[in-house]
Amino acid sequence: MNAILLLAAILFILMTLVGGKKGARSFFAIFLNFGVIIFVLFFMNDPNINPIIVTLIACAFIGCINLFFINEVNIKTITAFLSSLITTGVLIGFIVIIAEKAMIQGFGEEEIEELSIFSLYIGVDFVKVAASVIIMSTISAITDAAMAISSPMREIHYHHPDISRKELFQAGISIGKDILGTSTNTLFFAFFGAYLALLIWFKDLSYSAGEIINSKIFSGEMITIFCAGIGVTMVIPVTSWITALYLVKRGNTADTAE
Amino acid sequence: MKNIPFKKIYLYIILALCIAASVLFVQNNDAFYERTIAEVKEVQLLHSEEVTDIYDNKDHLYEQRIIAEITNGEAKGQQIHLTNQFSESKAYDNEIKTGQKLFVSIKDNNESDADLSGEIIDLKRDHFILLTGWIFILILLLVGKKQGLFSIISLAFNAVLLSYALDVYLKNPEISLLLICSAAVILFTVTSLLLVNGFNEKTYAAIIATLAATFLSLLITFLVIWLTGGKGLRFEELQFITRPYQMVFLAGLFIGSLGAVMDVAITMSSSLFSLYEKNNSIPVQALKRSGMEVGKDIMGTMTNILFFAYISGSIPMLILYIKNDSPLGYSLSMNLSLELARALAGGIGIVITIPIGLYTTIYFINRKRARR
Repeated sequence: MNAILLLAAILFILMTLVGGKKGARSFFAIFLNFGVIIFVLFFMNDPNINPIIVTLIACAFIGCINLFFINEVNIKTITAFLSSLITTGVLIGFIVIIAEKAMIQGFGEEEIEELSIFSLYIGVDFVKVAASVIIMSTISAITDAAMAISSPMREIHYHHPDISRKELFQAGISIGKDILGTSTNTLFFAFFGAYLALLIWFKDLSYSAGEIINSKIFSGEMITIFCAGIGVTMVIPVTSWITALYLVKRGNTADTAE
Repeated sequence: MKNIPFKKIYLYIILALCIAASVLFVQNNDAFYERTIAEVKEVQLLHSEEVTDIYDNKDHLYEQRIIAEITNGEAKGQQIHLTNQFSESKAYDNEIKTGQKLFVSIKDNNESDADLSGEIIDLKRDHFILLTGWIFILILLLVGKKQGLFSIISLAFNAVLLSYALDVYLKNPEISLLLICSAAVILFTVTSLLLVNGFNEKTYAAIIATLAATFLSLLITFLVIWLTGGKGLRFEELQFITRPYQMVFLAGLFIGSLGAVMDVAITMSSSLFSLYEKNNSIPVQALKRSGMEVGKDIMGTMTNILFFAYISGSIPMLILYIKNDSPLGYSLSMNLSLELARALAGGIGIVITIPIGLYTTIYFINRKRARR
């Protein structure tokens, strides 16, 4: 039996056992997200389409899946969705500049030997693809952080309907501070784990510190880690601000909370 | 009250000095490198042509002639002539621009007073890492203040610890990598959770739940790979491999899911403890129900975080495969099998953390109750 199928089956059983219907939906969301990645792949293969725009649209879809499909459409998910999109938009501008300046696109000299059978002149802009990859690897963490802030903010507003916008914003930031450590940790360990082989490789071939830091692959990974951290941190004030604005405004016009 | 802003100003000044000093150092650290570095002074485009490969992909090739000045080593101050070829897609080449610093190799020159010639090895990238790193630290401090500082400390500590663990492994290859990683995982968990949440029962419950869940999920994955004989896993596609690949893969998987498992464990224990603190006589059944609700809420997003963190990295390689006319199914199975296995195994870790975290926290709450 195929190892991946078996792992997937175990995950599905566990998710439905623990999470019931919602668990099954969460499992199905992984498949939908996989579908989005395949679509992204297809559009990126067309040299006439800008990969950045493909990525932004894909991020909107992923946001819909992670927020609206797993949860449901409500004030919490809508503000989380808006905040994730805004954060992603700002972040991608920064990442494109860094990726272009630092030239971390494409493949490193460590990989190039095994790629010798391939034609590398394929007309796809790898700088933009590199920026897209960084955003895509962080998008889910960004929506997660946004949701983790907007959801308790909604509770606070529900219990204290008279809270001012500024106080609500402060509450959002203080929730954000609490999740900051764990959500950056989640990403860091995921990347550490993925780069373990690379680190052993560098040490085994006794690269000097200078060679490691300046190599395309390592600097690419470091920049990915930092940008991911910037993304999950930036989404905290953005979500607090948008949710506070939205909840207080809505509270004034229609006083009844559902 | 007036003392606090002053203290803050000092901190800001120290931080600004650190940034300025490190940026200055990295801009001028060429002398510390053994490899020759040259700064690009002049770039001239020689010619460009359109190329079409055998799969009908169109691209542009450019050739540049570069004059650069060597900034370190014996030939410091001398000019060097270089040529560079790059393509529009830049998969393995770069467009050189004035002001960039390059690592170059100098060719032996017969005429001693003529300008040198040589080849470009790579680009100097250290200042970009530093820049992004500082922006990251500043944003983290700005938003997170003290908690931001703690997460930076915990990240730095974990990175050093990981590097040290690998050194131990490379020096003693007879010790299994999994064993070393297990020790590292215990240290990672204890320090990260203590730094983020402090010394209290919430943290102890989370630490125990994290360790139990991580080891259990590793065991499940190991059993699956053993039962299926690793069928469907393209270990040969694991990149950068100098060691037994199955061990490296399992160790990476082990560490990779740890952050997510810690996140779930601390969320479970803090939400249950806050329920208990609000109402000391809350029945165990109510705690169980609320705990499962919290678990359901975070399960989906956490598994998706791991999924994207692992899968996205394969996109450039997949594009290369597909553009080279490889069938989609083949490209996907070649490039994604290990990433998918990682994501799924991490997902299993996350899901089993929910009941494990629930019961460990309830155990700690009951113990606290008994002591009252």
